[in-house]
Amino acid sequence: MIKTAGLTKIYQTSSVAVHALRGVSIEVKKGEFVSIMGPSGSGKSTLMNLLGCLDKPSGGTYTLDGTDVSNLSEDELAAIRNRKIGFVFQTFNLLPRLTALRNVELPMLYAGVEPEERYTRAKTALERVGLANRLHHYPNQLSGGQNQRVAIARALVNNPAVILADEPTGNLDTLSGEEIMAVFQELNAEGATIVLVTHEREIAEHTQRVLTLRDGLLQRDEQIKDPLNAKEILQQLRNKAGDRE
Amino acid sequence: MNLWESVRVALDGIMANKLRSFLTTLGIIIGIAAVITVVAIGQGGRAVIMGEFEKIGTNIYMVWVDWRADDPPTGREIQKEDAAIIKRLSPAVSYLAPVNTAIRPVKGSEDQKSARLIGTTADYIHIRNLEIIRGRFLTAQDDNGCRRVAVVDEELARELYGKTDPIGQKLMIRNTPLVVVGLLKSEKSMFSFGTSKPVYIPISTWQYVFHNYYISQLEGKAVSREEVPLAVEQTLKILERRHNTEGRYQSVTLEDEMESANKVTGILTLIISAVAGISLLVGGIGVMNIMLVSVTERVREIGIRMALGARRRDILMQFLVEAVMLCLLGGLVGIVLGVGGAYLVAKLAHWPPLVSWGTVAIAVLFSAVIGIFFGIYPANKAARMNPIEALRRE
Ligand SMILES: Nc1ncnc2c1ncn2[C@@H]1O[C@H](COP(=O)(O)OP(=O)(O)OP(=O)(O)O)[C@@H](O)[C@H]1O
Ligand SMILES: [Mg+2]
Repeated sequence: MIKTAGLTKIYQTSSVAVHALRGVSIEVKKGEFVSIMGPSGSGKSTLMNLLGCLDKPSGGTYTLDGTDVSNLSEDELAAIRNRKIGFVFQTFNLLPRLTALRNVELPMLYAGVEPEERYTRAKTALERVGLANRLHHYPNQLSGGQNQRVAIARALVNNPAVILADEPTGNLDTLSGEEIMAVFQELNAEGATIVLVTHEREIAEHTQRVLTLRDGLLQRDEQIKDPLNAKEILQQLRNKAGDRE
Repeated sequence: MNLWESVRVALDGIMANKLRSFLTTLGIIIGIAAVITVVAIGQGGRAVIMGEFEKIGTNIYMVWVDWRADDPPTGREIQKEDAAIIKRLSPAVSYLAPVNTAIRPVKGSEDQKSARLIGTTADYIHIRNLEIIRGRFLTAQDDNGCRRVAVVDEELARELYGKTDPIGQKLMIRNTPLVVVGLLKSEKSMFSFGTSKPVYIPISTWQYVFHNYYISQLEGKAVSREEVPLAVEQTLKILERRHNTEGRYQSVTLEDEMESANKVTGILTLIISAVAGISLLVGGIGVMNIMLVSVTERVREIGIRMALGARRRDILMQFLVEAVMLCLLGGLVGIVLGVGGAYLVAKLAHWPPLVSWGTVAIAVLFSAVIGIFFGIYPANKAARMNPIEALRRE
């Protein structure tokens, strides 16, 4: 699904050239759930931006879903972002003036989907992330965890080839974070390919494979034999809370 | 994304900041309202002036002797008999009358007043479309017999004779007694405002009263509006032949007068429209200003939309449509105010509310053009943003 070879990225600032990526070759297969870890400044976000076609690499090649996207025009990249990629950000990045439903409709707006279909698909996507009764709420009327689920609904509504999430639990408490991971695991079980950046080892252990970056290079590629099950952990957390009462 | 979607997104943006949107479009509102009202006032005023001309009759003309210092007129360039002869010779002329005018005191049984004394012939009533309410107008016999008769303006008659019936009464001009034989309806024209009221006497009587055979001008009426130039031409030609002169006469037609009146109102409308146009320009700059603010405020929104698949031209369209919508909404409010203003002025000034719908259409078009012209720069600025940097911005 994702295949990069010798991907490099150099940021040219006024004084120095920052080598954010120095040749990263990774492969993510269809249906995989992969996490990327690494210290701050190791190039995780830079890699995600390249995988998400928000930016062009300085060198190397990148093949997404069978197409080489290293040398596409801006409009073509916009179309790839629209149809093949679903973004989930640390800060949710919802439009505050739109309801949950209309936020989820946005990617379909740019895909040219008809209004009726947009509505039903957005509704279905929100139901899938457990927000069936929050369709007409505005972001400031929802909790952080709920906002992130709206963002996930938005990311999956165009049936993308891959969902890219840069620290999706970074702004959430443990319980909300666990809920988000449960949603991701469920989507993955239904066949979604997911790449997720995190700082927390425990979050990474919910995925099937952990890639570790250091100084712009891939340092480690480890398989998680027995990933944590978010649903079970949620159940335990809730039981504990119930005991205390 | 189609245009309708863009319009919806733009309306969201405008509605999110209602007060600011309104203030932004104020310049446009005022400009458009001013243009529409001013043009309507101009047209209404012109309609009134033209109406006055139509009342007089559009096919009348005048001929008089050109006064030159190096070659002063002898006083014989126009003679009383010329009018009848020209009328007989030229098929284009339907009426022609010699006219002398002077402001003189006249005395009735009750009072003495200053009047506009007009010496002329029977034709004059047809040329000026005068209306007799009692008695009769001057006749050919009056002129031939040099009769001491006068036709008086009804209002003037009331001042001169009070409650007594003026018909048959004595009217003193200088030391000559005349008899009132007819009353004329007072002219209610904007041109006669403030002038002395008329008293008509036969031209021969005029010559007797003033001991002067000089005729100052001829006033004529052509058979139709189209024949006016021919009537003027033939009048001049016959005059020149009869008096063996060349280039001594001047002429004017009502058509000429209408044209110059048109020109004046046209120039006034143009000047005020130009002022309104400047207001629109300033309004447009206001829109550009606010759109620039809006773009900087919404950098993150732009980044998000781009990440979700918006192409640069989608972002460009979004902000451009927003600017155009702002201007169009301002234009619509301006049209409502302008049309309202035009009707108000028309009501106060008692003239027809001539809102020019062409002007309204141009106003709509113009506000859209302003929107595009002043929206393109901010919209382009938005579209050229780098999505990653836009997303990082707080
Ligand atoms: N636009 C930029 N211009 C210049 N340097 C940049 C730019 N973006 C990132 N960098 C540099 O590239 C390197 C990698 O940054 P990146 O954001 O990918 O790190 P990260 O692994 O995501 O870190 P964190 O965990 O803090 O989010 C850093 O040294 C950073 O300073
Ligand atoms: Mg990062």
